[in-house]
Amino acid sequence: MSAALARPIPESRRIRVRVWELPVRIAHWCIVFSILVLAATGFYIGHPFISVSGMARDHFVMGTIKVIHFYAAIVFTLAVLSRLVWMFMGNRYARWNQFIPTSRRRLHNMYESLRFYLFIRRDPPPVIGHNALAGAAYSVIYGICLVMIGTGLAMYAPQAPVGSPMRWFAFLIPFFGGLPTARLIHHIGMWLLLAFMVHHVYSSILVSAVEHNATIESIVSGNKFVTPETLAEESEESDA
Amino acid sequence: MGNHGWLTRELKARGVSRREFVKFCASMAAILALPPPVAAKLADTIEKAEKPTLVWLEFQDCAGNTESFLRASRPTVAEIILEKISLNYHETVMAAAGHQAEDALYKTVKDHAGKYIAAVEGSIPTGADGAYCTVGGKSALQIAREVCGNAAATIAIGTCAAFGGIPAASPNPTGAVAVGDAVPGLKNLINVSACPANAENITALLVYYMTMKQWPPLDQYRRPLFAYGKLIHDNCERRAHFDAGQYVEAWGDEEHRHGYCLYKMGCKGPVTFQNCPVVRWNEGTNWPIGCGHPCVGCAEPNFWDKMTPFYRHLENIPGFAVGTNVDKVGLGLTAAVGAAFAAHGAIEIAKRKLGSGSGQSEGKKGE
Repeated sequence: MSAALARPIPESRRIRVRVWELPVRIAHWCIVFSILVLAATGFYIGHPFISVSGMARDHFVMGTIKVIHFYAAIVFTLAVLSRLVWMFMGNRYARWNQFIPTSRRRLHNMYESLRFYLFIRRDPPPVIGHNALAGAAYSVIYGICLVMIGTGLAMYAPQAPVGSPMRWFAFLIPFFGGLPTARLIHHIGMWLLLAFMVHHVYSSILVSAVEHNATIESIVSGNKFVTPETLAEESEESDA
Repeated sequence: MGNHGWLTRELKARGVSRREFVKFCASMAAILALPPPVAAKLADTIEKAEKPTLVWLEFQDCAGNTESFLRASRPTVAEIILEKISLNYHETVMAAAGHQAEDALYKTVKDHAGKYIAAVEGSIPTGADGAYCTVGGKSALQIAREVCGNAAATIAIGTCAAFGGIPAASPNPTGAVAVGDAVPGLKNLINVSACPANAENITALLVYYMTMKQWPPLDQYRRPLFAYGKLIHDNCERRAHFDAGQYVEAWGDEEHRHGYCLYKMGCKGPVTFQNCPVVRWNEGTNWPIGCGHPCVGCAEPNFWDKMTPFYRHLENIPGFAVGTNVDKVGLGLTAAVGAAFAAHGAIEIAKRKLGSGSGQSEGKKGE
């Protein structure tokens, strides 16, 4: 009983739902900006492309960029971990079961979403938060984020100041197959996250355009517009 | 064996002055990161120390560690310590041969059981029931079990013995493994990795044992922390150029001649733990980075697989041809994802334009 939403929802039938709470939105934008900073500085750290001449004592290019990378890494780590914690504290659109499909309904929604993306079905199955397919994809992204944090900490540990508690993370080094492999994984992870960003922005624009429900705006405002039917279906799911 | 005064006699016989001996003790104290006053105590203690009994086994090796250890330059105090230690068995340097030599080895194992030190150079092959490396009719694995199993301590000298090294590099045709993996549960296993292991570190390790009557603190790979506790990068003389952003771009370029950082030439100093920048090689003459060559990371596990290509920053992705690199793959992947979504968008728009008359058109295009 999936209502087609080819046209904008008439104002009389439009219900505004608070989907993304403030912590979710703050975490989201912290992650976005920290990834952009991390990717730019990380790319330089892997391939120092700025030419510096003169006395070494007059410059600190790599040093400065590494420090920016580490500060951005702190923001990124805290934002990702906060968001993971919020999966167990936030509203139903932020919860962990939005990412890992556990119910029959969510699995069905995953299948229907795949049909939509493959042009088999014309309109996306109605959901308010993430569709089940997107949610599952995001759980992989969280996995990549954790691997980035882990490899980053493993590489940072040996260069942390003597006596720093960060040195403790050296225990992670063998888990990633040694520092050179950790470096390679960290590098590949950056590209996966950048590729994901391309997909994520496109999918958001697509869904926003075909559902007319302010998906794009929702990550700033926190609100989406839905029909009474969709809202009723979602409440059923949470009651089940 | 109460053999007091052996060292004094040896020094006198070799014409080494007391002054030179104290200087040696000072340098040992420095390597072990002990304060200067300890040097005098070291001198006293070494003189009174018992003469340790050592057997040196060679398996799948190139004898490079032996070469490093013997150092064919002027005789030094270290050389006396190392050579005049009761070295009861060493294939490369011993005069005995055949059964006579083997008898000396097994006599030591029997007479000094639980008291001698086993030094092992080279990896141990496990393939073909150990047939790839046999000495006197016994496989390396059998010898290691017997000799290392009865030793007070086993020192795996060089990366092959410590981590498998070059024989264990992919595809590892002989099934080579490190000593610690070949004979699990060895008492006091100490890995002194690097290709070859630095003689200064081997000497310092023995001096530590002789004077402190115990083995030094080890890292997670069982390497002595005094030698493997810090990244090469953190003590590198070119570090200022790294932080400034000044790098060698090509062999022999202006930057190379200025002694800039070798990071972009694939230097593995940032991922390798050893004290090379401080101790250096060949009696402090120089070390690889000091003469313009990047570190190849020889002291780390699996260095032949993990640190290659030596002159590039990242290792090769398994399964990809040599010459491709992560950035090309990553850029290509990002572009491909972008193109896929652009195409998806174009189809979506086209579909909507075509299908706008018919309203619901589910399944129309799927067939």
